[in-house]
Amino acid sequence: MKPQLQTFVSSFRMSQLHFFADPQWIIPNVIAPFIFTAVALMFFQNVSGSLALYAVLGGGMMGMWGNTLYGAGFALGFDRWNGTLEYVLATPSRLVWIVAGRSASSAVLGLVNAIAILCIAVFGYRAELGIANPVLFLLALVLTLASLSSLGVLFSSSFLLTRSASVMTNGLEMPIYVASGSMFPIALLPFWSHPFSWSLGPTWGIEAMRYAAYGELGLGFWIDVLVVFASTIIYLAIGFWLFGIVERKVRRDATLVEY
Amino acid sequence: MTNQFPGSQSIRIFVSSATFAFKALFSWLRPEMWLMQVLTLPLFQMAFFVYLARFAAPTTTNVAFIAVGNAMQVASFSSIFAVCNLTSEEKWQGTLVPLIATPANRFPLFLGRASFQILNGIVTIAVGFLYANTLFQVDMVRTDFVALAIVIVVTTFAMTGFGLMLGSVGLFMRTAMIIANIFLFIGLLICGVNFPVTVLPVWIQPISYAIPMTYGTMAARAAVQGTDILGIAPVLLQEIATGLGSILIGYVLFLSFEVLARRRGTLEEY
Repeated sequence: MKPQLQTFVSSFRMSQLHFFADPQWIIPNVIAPFIFTAVALMFFQNVSGSLALYAVLGGGMMGMWGNTLYGAGFALGFDRWNGTLEYVLATPSRLVWIVAGRSASSAVLGLVNAIAILCIAVFGYRAELGIANPVLFLLALVLTLASLSSLGVLFSSSFLLTRSASVMTNGLEMPIYVASGSMFPIALLPFWSHPFSWSLGPTWGIEAMRYAAYGELGLGFWIDVLVVFASTIIYLAIGFWLFGIVERKVRRDATLVEY
Repeated sequence: MTNQFPGSQSIRIFVSSATFAFKALFSWLRPEMWLMQVLTLPLFQMAFFVYLARFAAPTTTNVAFIAVGNAMQVASFSSIFAVCNLTSEEKWQGTLVPLIATPANRFPLFLGRASFQILNGIVTIAVGFLYANTLFQVDMVRTDFVALAIVIVVTTFAMTGFGLMLGSVGLFMRTAMIIANIFLFIGLLICGVNFPVTVLPVWIQPISYAIPMTYGTMAARAAVQGTDILGIAPVLLQEIATGLGSILIGYVLFLSFEVLARRRGTLEEY
């Protein structure tokens, strides 16, 4: 196995072990998307099934995003608090592969969040969740998950520079929920905000998931799939590049464990 | 010592604790980050629920109801989340044991710790109302601003009392973070923030009326529509009662959990 892949797998495994040592931490990550979905279902209670499905799928995506963002924000924050960040950086493995493993772990756990939200919506609120094409829905879901994970890597690089990562994490949760059109079409948002929405992979990912769920598998679906895949590659490329710069900077300025 | 007036010791502890908490917060949090939080949280929370409601029911959505509700509820980030985590944060920093070992009265000590969050909550709500009026076109022409100001202050105090009550549980639990997160967001669902409490299942409604925010949103909407302070006094009195009740229950819980944690040796467990 290549050293980079080995680092990624080890980091992923370690992150999973940390989580299962104290799984109650899934609650803070899942509670906001769950409550938002519950509020949405209250709004949609007199509306037809397809619109309710729109909100439920959005809730699932928010569940994944919540976990990924918190995973990215705290991936290095906890090391900083525990005094282990210097040791992590001093290893021969590049930090970005370690963070990528942790971010992927958070995204996978986010999938559990999403499934929990969908189950609660279906069984608790009797929301209709008919998926017309489960195979392509799964493809869109996996690509969205990868996109969220790569976005987590991208944000993590900036979290390395600041001791206020937790504040930034809290600050980034809602804007992505709004801008990605997780529960309502971005067409409702002001026109000037659309370029920001389009720059987010999850915007395209959730749209692809909805196309697959509704069975509308025309050109729109494949464009969404293509864009979400391309955005993942771009986020990762920028994330790797930024990590190189940030790593050099914190070593040079000796500000790594400043908090 | 004999010249001190009754309560001067408690005031000194309160002021000292408040000053210390303020300095501690801004020793790690840059003011610009704090400002970013105050400016963005109300905006995006309000935008999310307003657009969601418009999508669900384009013709019948009452934007003012949702915008005002969220402008008030956003104070929960400081009044509930930050305050509830006070004990847990002391635990993480390893300072809870020295703090508990002091003979200082716990009430002014932790009230002082929470005091900046009261101010923080007031500022955040004010920013929320600014957005409600300028971006979401909430009509505030008839608003009784004196009444609204009183509602905001009372709500932040009452919610901080509620947060202190939840925080007392954190003294005994491994962390209060879980409970803080649950109560940070649950208000969006059960406190009449996005829809009236009356549309909730009957068994949930008593829980709604045990949380001060439910009265805060009702009173704020009345003040925005022009009701004066005498008109909203009954609701405000109920809010004050739930806030004071929360503080009292929280104080009793804190003392009980302190005894329990000392006896079981779990004060530092996290």
